[in-house]
Amino acid sequence: MNLVGLALRNLRRRPIRTCLSILGIGLAVGSALALIALSRSIQDSTREGMDEIGDDLVVMQKGSSDIFGGLIPEETVERIAAVPGVVRVSGELVAFAPSGLANSVLTLGWPDASYLWRKVPLRQGRVPAAGERHVAVLGDTAAASLGKKVGDELDLFGKIFRVVGIAGYTTIVNRGLVLVPLADLQEASYRPRQVTIAHVNVEHINGRAELARVREQIEALGGVVASTANEVLSNDRNFAVLEAVSLAVAIIAVAMSALNVLTALVMATQERTREIGIFAAIGWSNGRIMRSIVIEGITMCMIGCAAGVLLSFLAAFAFPRIPAIGNLISFKPSVGLIAPVVGAAFVLCVLGALLPAWRAVRMIPAEALRRM
Amino acid sequence: MTAIDRGVGSHKSSEARPLIALRGVSRIHDGGAIAALKNVDLQINEGECVAIIGASGSGKSSLVNILCGIDYPSTGVVYWEGRPIRTQRVWAKLRRLRIGIVFQEFNLIPTLTALENVELALLGGGLSAKHRYARSGAMLDRVGLAHRMHHLVTKLSGGERQRVAIARAIVNDPMLLLADEPTGNLDSVSAANVADLLFSLREKTGMTLILVTHDGVLAARCARRVRIRDGVIVDDSPHAATTAVVGARAKP
Repeated sequence: MNLVGLALRNLRRRPIRTCLSILGIGLAVGSALALIALSRSIQDSTREGMDEIGDDLVVMQKGSSDIFGGLIPEETVERIAAVPGVVRVSGELVAFAPSGLANSVLTLGWPDASYLWRKVPLRQGRVPAAGERHVAVLGDTAAASLGKKVGDELDLFGKIFRVVGIAGYTTIVNRGLVLVPLADLQEASYRPRQVTIAHVNVEHINGRAELARVREQIEALGGVVASTANEVLSNDRNFAVLEAVSLAVAIIAVAMSALNVLTALVMATQERTREIGIFAAIGWSNGRIMRSIVIEGITMCMIGCAAGVLLSFLAAFAFPRIPAIGNLISFKPSVGLIAPVVGAAFVLCVLGALLPAWRAVRMIPAEALRRM
Repeated sequence: MTAIDRGVGSHKSSEARPLIALRGVSRIHDGGAIAALKNVDLQINEGECVAIIGASGSGKSSLVNILCGIDYPSTGVVYWEGRPIRTQRVWAKLRRLRIGIVFQEFNLIPTLTALENVELALLGGGLSAKHRYARSGAMLDRVGLAHRMHHLVTKLSGGERQRVAIARAIVNDPMLLLADEPTGNLDSVSAANVADLLFSLREKTGMTLILVTHDGVLAARCARRVRIRDGVIVDDSPHAATTAVVGARAKP
């Protein structure tokens, strides 16, 4: 018999309450982890997608609050191509295109001569030929979720596109893409001679210095800003809002778990007032009595946190298998994410256990012994 | 080494030494509406056997609660071996090392076995789990419950539960054993057995015994009787204290 054994015995004494408290902590930690992991994974998926395309710089309209929020004229793309040090550049129009009865699909329009077409990792079929219109290449998960294969027809913006190829990208964002000729998307989305961003590859003769110089010269063209993929994402207001909301909900969820522990232990100590009086009567110090109560809280917290982590991994396994989620984002709880969430939950649970423990030792033992 | 740590076993003098004393102790409740104890002076020496007697509500339990520090005097001071006790920390240490308490309602933890209940009193005393187990088992053997040590206390009879409580009270080899109506909840046979056990343990160890009772026969077995009425000591037999087993206490 020791304090841990006593704590376990007390927890087993009221199995339903203990299980419900642990479940509450587990759900709170699990949902906090899932929320933060989801918000980060949206950002990570987008970053991975941009890395897979292989940009050195992304050029956007100056002042646009997010990656889809601005437009730049095609002429600007041509002027960027003339900047010394720029190896290649491609405009890209981004749109969420309604596709029949299905949800909107993330659609990119690339110019016929864009180097991006040559980098498409084709799994089946081909990329559009120069001048070919109303054709599309689908990422494999987009093809699967739309139920399309090479040769099928696809409705985008009410126009019929023929699927000519299936791409085998590796990142979740790119696997869900629909790629069409720029002219078709400009026409369908009423964006003539406009693109959303320009992908830029820079000649890496002098490394970072060269990149910075090219960046300055591009921005000197006026009305645009050139950024690396990481900068684009960290400055993106949509991602910032998403992360802030996720963090706020996660904090509330973790605080709820501490309240669960607090409630369970307040009730347990109230019921066991006489028992605490007995501990005092046989000479237990205030510190020992508090430790015995806090150990109960910590035990519940540890089991609850373990359950929460398990739940988050179950979510990581299950979410990619749900088309509405899995086609857009990947979900990866990591040690770097789990440690702070579990750490915060642990600290809050200990604080939640300290209050009833402190109340318990403030009682006069003789009065505690009189309680039934 | 403090007075609490030192213990009485090393004291070989035959002269009676004060163990615990109350000086001007009062205990009031409800903002003064109830006075459980009124300006009580009482000294109990090492090795004495004292019965505190009185009617229900006379203040016996209040007196014993203050003598073991589980209640605090409203005014006055409690002394242990001549030194005033002013903090709960010191009281907790005294109860852990030097004072054993036996209650009328047993006050055992119902979810634990007899052995575990006794072991609770040894937690934090620096003994290994193995030694705690052995010592608790030996103590239950001493009170005749070796065969019931692994039973939940809820499965034991009243007399057996009180013997578990006695084992828990003496497991730390206390200098002072306070028993508050220890036979009050027992049938006559069990009560006699428990009383015999308490007196026999006292005789063997030489510890000081304070017995709170309204049973005249039980009180008669103590050399000194203190009668309390309405929170005031109305009768004491101080000369009987000379019959105490001073210096005879042996460490187990």
